[in-house]
Amino acid sequence: MAPRIQRHGLAVTLAALAVLVASVVAATPAAARAAETGRRGGVLLAVIGADPPSLDPHQESTFANIQLVAPLYSTLLQIDPYGYPKIVGDAASEWKIAPDGITYTFKIRHGIRFHDGSPLTAADVKATYDKIVSPPAGVLSIRKNAYTEVASIEAPDPSTVVFRLTFPSASLLNNLASPWNVIYPKTYLDKDPNYFKTNVMGSGPFKFKAYTRGATFEGVRNPDYFVKDRPYLDGYKFFISPETSVRAAAIRSGRAYIEFRDLPNAEVEAIKKQLGDKIVVQTTPMTGQFGIAINNAAKPFNDVRVRKAVTLGLDRYTAGKVLYGITGLKLVGGLMRPGSEWAMPEAELQKLPGFWTDAEKSRTEAKRLLAEAGYPNGLKVVLKNRNVKLPYQDFAVFAIQEWRRIGIEAENRPLETAAWFNDGQNTGNFELIIAPTVEFMDDPDQFLGRYVTGSTQNWGRYSDPRLDDLFSRQARTLEPAERQKLVNELQKVVLENAYYMPGLWWMRNVVHWAKVKNYVAQPSHYTNQKLQDVWLSED
Amino acid sequence: MSAPYPLVHATASAPLGQRLTVAEEVLKFVRTKPLGAGGALIILGMMLVALFAEALAPYDPYRGDYGLQFARPSVDHWFGTDEFGRDVLSRVMYGARIALFVGFVASFAGCTLGGLLGVVSAYWGGKVDLILERLMDVLLAFPQLILALAIASILGPAVQNVVVAVAIPIIPRAARVVRATALSVKENPYVEAVQALGALRRRVVLRHIVPNVMAPYIIMLTAQLGGAILTEAALSYLGLGTAEPTPSWGLMLSGSAPSYAEKAPWIALFPGIAISLGVFGFNLFGDSLRDALDPKLRKT
Repeated sequence: MAPRIQRHGLAVTLAALAVLVASVVAATPAAARAAETGRRGGVLLAVIGADPPSLDPHQESTFANIQLVAPLYSTLLQIDPYGYPKIVGDAASEWKIAPDGITYTFKIRHGIRFHDGSPLTAADVKATYDKIVSPPAGVLSIRKNAYTEVASIEAPDPSTVVFRLTFPSASLLNNLASPWNVIYPKTYLDKDPNYFKTNVMGSGPFKFKAYTRGATFEGVRNPDYFVKDRPYLDGYKFFISPETSVRAAAIRSGRAYIEFRDLPNAEVEAIKKQLGDKIVVQTTPMTGQFGIAINNAAKPFNDVRVRKAVTLGLDRYTAGKVLYGITGLKLVGGLMRPGSEWAMPEAELQKLPGFWTDAEKSRTEAKRLLAEAGYPNGLKVVLKNRNVKLPYQDFAVFAIQEWRRIGIEAENRPLETAAWFNDGQNTGNFELIIAPTVEFMDDPDQFLGRYVTGSTQNWGRYSDPRLDDLFSRQARTLEPAERQKLVNELQKVVLENAYYMPGLWWMRNVVHWAKVKNYVAQPSHYTNQKLQDVWLSED
Repeated sequence: MSAPYPLVHATASAPLGQRLTVAEEVLKFVRTKPLGAGGALIILGMMLVALFAEALAPYDPYRGDYGLQFARPSVDHWFGTDEFGRDVLSRVMYGARIALFVGFVASFAGCTLGGLLGVVSAYWGGKVDLILERLMDVLLAFPQLILALAIASILGPAVQNVVVAVAIPIIPRAARVVRATALSVKENPYVEAVQALGALRRRVVLRHIVPNVMAPYIIMLTAQLGGAILTEAALSYLGLGTAEPTPSWGLMLSGSAPSYAEKAPWIALFPGIAISLGVFGFNLFGDSLRDALDPKLRKT
């Protein structure tokens, strides 16, 4: 009997172990995928909705840039491809923060080479961050406000980089993991800091192969990549089309294996219905919301009453119900993502203009404000927009039909991506413009830097000393609860004065063929785009 | 000295056919060209819908009923609703306005400008003719839609820009047809006679040549109308025409319609039918008008 009992006991033990292993695997799907043995070869075919305005990520803030070029570069740190928001090294192998919190020392890995064969050293990292933090005249650095605490960057030897700060920063490490801060070779930057707007020279897992505007962007495997046996793929190729239906059709037909940004639920349903298990859909909340920049510097929106009227005229709660199915825009929130640790509590948010739950009351107030501002019969405005269907056009359609109810006639004017950036960001040539705020992680420095006077991301051209002060204070407040109060206060100032009107926060559907392995969709469509661990189980 | 031959004022004595009234002309057209009359009926219907869209459309074409997204065609919504819950029938009705506006204005502008250039080219001849004709060759070298696409992408998406983009490719086509007729008219004895009498060039062109090239001009005008509607639809379909939420047939076919082709085919179906019907109507009418106005065909 004993042996039988023993066998039975063994079986139970094995079964228990199997259940335990299965539950661990289920709980950590990303880790499990990472542990699968990768297959070398194949070209990853992808689709993307726009052309990049330029190839320099330091100067751009669109998926159309970073998704194409991220595989070509290294960054100092990065978000863990399998564990957002954990930060891991990329070019940096280790780092140390001094007890005073104002000195950060990074060790650069040995053996990283740029695609021209030259080694990547601390001097390249310093030159790169000097360009980002203190760009030379004529060079745009749209995220420099996120580094106001940086006093100096030093490279005492080829493998050491030291960041010295003016105050301990709550967000520096997050900001150094930015996918936008790709490392450029110093020799090229010295010759022309704008070289990378039209050229590529990186040290990433893939080398630049070809780019045909409006058609394709291609990268080819870098055999000298510093991570052994990576990347798995021979290359990657993006097909460019602004039409959502074209991109969805490309996935359905197998001409493309993945759409990294988002596809609407209707397309996802149809693709799933047709392809079944051959397709995987990863749905995540997104660190981005679609809102509207209001030009505070020009009539009629230099009048706070008119600004408040347009934000009051948008019923966000209904918008979430209507737009989710067709665009993925769903959650009502302030300037930080609802559900994140920095989100404004719902009860506080609902006291602010545009977030009242009684839509009729909001409309009545909007009409009253318009009349008081001298527009009793409403007004006509132009809403500039990006010619990307999802979700720019659908969001605009909803806003326009909502505004008609308070007497505002808005003309939707779609622009090509570069023209949209130029009118919105560079020149301020607009009255209203669809301007999403999308960042690579839930970090107040990243999301709120745009509300500071003179920020390149301050499309609405407003200047409020209270915002400058609150932003500066929250950036140096290390205690989370205290920082949260300042973050909420800043959000209130923006929303009460309608400097900018947020719309809805986004949910992301990443649709790909099941043969695309080891890709984990993160809350941002800017991160985990290096593709170094992605592989194809079949061609 | 008296004249050797007495001057006699000759008068034509051939019997003139009885002049038909407008109603009789219309009836004759309907009797002899029933297909053309059908086309005219379609055009008339479109015009009435476009003119009285406010009264005829059951709903505001811009206003969505959020509880009724993707509603199937029903008694309340004959053509169903779209992804915002907007009534497709109302949007098709209002879409007729854009289609006809762009069609008429672009065809009229393109044919008129082209026709004038054709007359000038034919009458002045020489270097003027050479330069204008080479210019027309350049424009004709591009397919009509490709040229319209290029112009629209430069000007950006807006109704007035669509008119320009659709009108420009029509110019060389109208210029060629009118020039050919004007060249033959110019050689007629009555033109030579009035020139010999010392009439100003302006008078010769405006009083004697232009009226005689009106038949090909009108034929071109009607022939291009269908094409102009189609081009507007194509431009909007490709994102270079009118912008959302303007109800335009081409725009209704593009945008979200392909995404919802399986879930809600009516979103694309009805604007598609409207475009086909409109183009069909103009082509039928244009063909019949050409037959009616062509003297050779009239004789047979």
